[in-house]
Amino acid sequence: MKLKSTEQNGVFLVELSGKIMGGPESAQFHDAIKHAISSSHKKVVIDLGAVEWMNSSGIGLLVSAYTTLKNSGSEMKLARTTEKIQSLLVITKLNSVFDSHDSVDSAIKSFN
Amino acid sequence: MADPFATDMVSSPVSDGHRRRDRALSLLEDLERQVQAHLAASGTRKSDADQKRLLEELLSKIGAADQNLRLQGELDRERQENAILQEVSLRLSSAADIRDVLRAILESLRQVVEFDAAGIFVYNAQLGQIEVDMLAGYGGAQKRRVYTKFQEGVKQGEGIVATVVFTRKPLYVPDVHNDPRYVEVRPTTKSELAVPIFVRDEIIGAFNLESDKLDAFNERDLRLLLAFASHAGVALERARSDRQRQHTQRINEELALARRIHSSFLPKNFPNFAPFDLGGMNFPSSEVGGDYYDFMPITEHDLGVIMSDVAGHGVAAALLMANFRACIRIESRAHYAIPTILQRVNEFLVETNPPDSFVTAFYGVLNREHNVLTYSNAGHNPPLLLRAGQPPLLLSDGGPILGVLPGATFEQTQLNFEPGDMLVLYTDGVTEARNESGDEFGVERLAELTQKYQAIPANELARRISHDVLSFYAPDVAMDDLTISVIKYDGTESH
Repeated sequence: MKLKSTEQNGVFLVELSGKIMGGPESAQFHDAIKHAISSSHKKVVIDLGAVEWMNSSGIGLLVSAYTTLKNSGSEMKLARTTEKIQSLLVITKLNSVFDSHDSVDSAIKSFN
Repeated sequence: MADPFATDMVSSPVSDGHRRRDRALSLLEDLERQVQAHLAASGTRKSDADQKRLLEELLSKIGAADQNLRLQGELDRERQENAILQEVSLRLSSAADIRDVLRAILESLRQVVEFDAAGIFVYNAQLGQIEVDMLAGYGGAQKRRVYTKFQEGVKQGEGIVATVVFTRKPLYVPDVHNDPRYVEVRPTTKSELAVPIFVRDEIIGAFNLESDKLDAFNERDLRLLLAFASHAGVALERARSDRQRQHTQRINEELALARRIHSSFLPKNFPNFAPFDLGGMNFPSSEVGGDYYDFMPITEHDLGVIMSDVAGHGVAAALLMANFRACIRIESRAHYAIPTILQRVNEFLVETNPPDSFVTAFYGVLNREHNVLTYSNAGHNPPLLLRAGQPPLLLSDGGPILGVLPGATFEQTQLNFEPGDMLVLYTDGVTEARNESGDEFGVERLAELTQKYQAIPANELARRISHDVLSFYAPDVAMDDLTISVIKYDGTESH
C-alpha cells in the first residue's frame, strides 16, 4: 500500500495505491486521517483509483476512517472506486453508507 | 591524525607474574652493568686475565638468563592471553544470558588489558541507532548520561564509539581532550580505544575502553580488544537469534492456543434435521482464522444457520469471533425476530470492538414444518440457492456489516424450499481464492461445482468443494480461511 495526502481547495485528499490488505502498513492511513482531523479538515476524499487489490481488512480501514471522521464532525467521500472495491462495497452494503464518485473532482464538488 | 599504532610501543606488563619477571630483568641488567665495570677496571696481569675470562663467562651467562627470562615472559603472556580467550569461548558456550556473557567478556579482558571504563554497544542498522548493551566503570549518573546520549541519537562526527560504528574502523585517541569528536561523560577519562564488532561482514556494534591515563593503550591492547570484540559479536548475534527464536515460539504457542479455541467453536457433527441434509467444512489458514459457521437448534422445528467472517486474522480475529459467537447464540435464544437479533448483536459489537474490525454474517432460521428459511444477510458474501432449471439465486438482502455502524437496521426475507434445492453458504476464502493466473475462484465456479456434485450428501459435498478450492489456489498465494456449509432439501423424507 502506498499513500499520498494533499490539500485541494480546502479538501484533504488521500490517494491510496497498491494492495490494501490491512496489517501494520495501515498505520500510515490512520495517521493521515488523524492529521486531517487535527488540521481541522471537514472534507476528506479518499482516491482509490490506483488500488490494485483490496480485501476485507482494507474495507475495515475505510470503515474506521469513516467513523473516526464522522465522530469529529468531518465528512468522507470515496473517489474512483475500482470494480473490485465496488463489489466489496455491495456485498458489505457499505455502498449505502459511503458516498462514492467516479472522479476526484466530482467527489470534491459534491461537498457543497 | 597519524596512526598512533605505527610507532613501536613498549608493552606494559599487567599481572603479578609480569611484574616479578620485570624486577628480575632489572636486577640482571644491574648485575650486567657491575660486571662490565669490573671488566673495564681490570689490569693486564695474569691473575687479571683469569678474572677477566671469568667475568666474561659470567656476562654471557647473564645475557642468556636475561634472554630466557624475556622469552619466558613472552610465552607466558601469550599462554595467558590464549587461556583467557579460551575461557571466554567456554563461558560463551555455556552462559544463557547475554548480560552474563558480556560481563564475562569484560572481566576476562580486564585480566589482560588495563582500563578504567568500558562499554559494549549494539548498532541497530534498521533504525540507524546505537544502543548501550553493557557498561563498566561508569558511575550511576554517568551511566544514565551514556544511555540518554545514545537514545537521543548521535550525529555524524560526534563521539568516538559512533565514529567507529560509522567508519567501521578501530580508533585510538591517546588524548581525548585533543579530539573534537570526543563527548565527555567520565571527567577522569584521558585516552580511549574503540573497535567495531562485526558478525561476518555486517557491523553490529562497537567495543570501547577508556583509561584515566594519557596514551594508555598500545598495539597489543588493540589486538586483544579486537579478539574480544569478535567474541562479543558471536555472543550478541546468538542472543539476537535466541530472542528471535523465543519470540517466534511464543507467537506459535499463542497461535496454537487460538487455533484450538477457534476449532472448538466449530460444529463437530451436525444435528439430524430431516428432511434437510446438512454439512460443513472449515480449513483455517496458516494463521488463526476468523470464520465461524454453525447449525444451532432453537426449537424442535427451528434451526439457526450461521455463516460469518471476521475481518483480519490471528488472535484478535479469533477473539472477535468468540465474542460474536457468544453474542448471537444468546440473542437468538432470547428473540424471535431476526432483525432484532442482528441489531442487538451489532450494537454490542460496536461498543466492544475496535473501529477497524467487523463481522460479516448471514443468519437464518430454517423451519422444517413449513420448509422455510427466514434470513438476513449482514454484509456477508451472499449464499447461493441452486434450483433446477434456474440461475443461482443470491441471498443478499439484510443489512450492513456488524460492529461498525451504530443504529444500523436489518431486514428479513423468507425463502421457501422446493424439492431438489441446495443452499451453499461460504466465506470469501472460497470465492476469492486465486490461481496462478490471478483469476478468482468466483461464484460461478462454486455454483457449477455444487450442481456437478448434487447427488452427493451435503457433508461430502462441502468436503469435495473445499478440496477443489484448495487445489485451485496458486502455491505462492497466501491462503485465507475457507469455510463452506451446505443445506440440501430433497423433499422426500418426512420428519
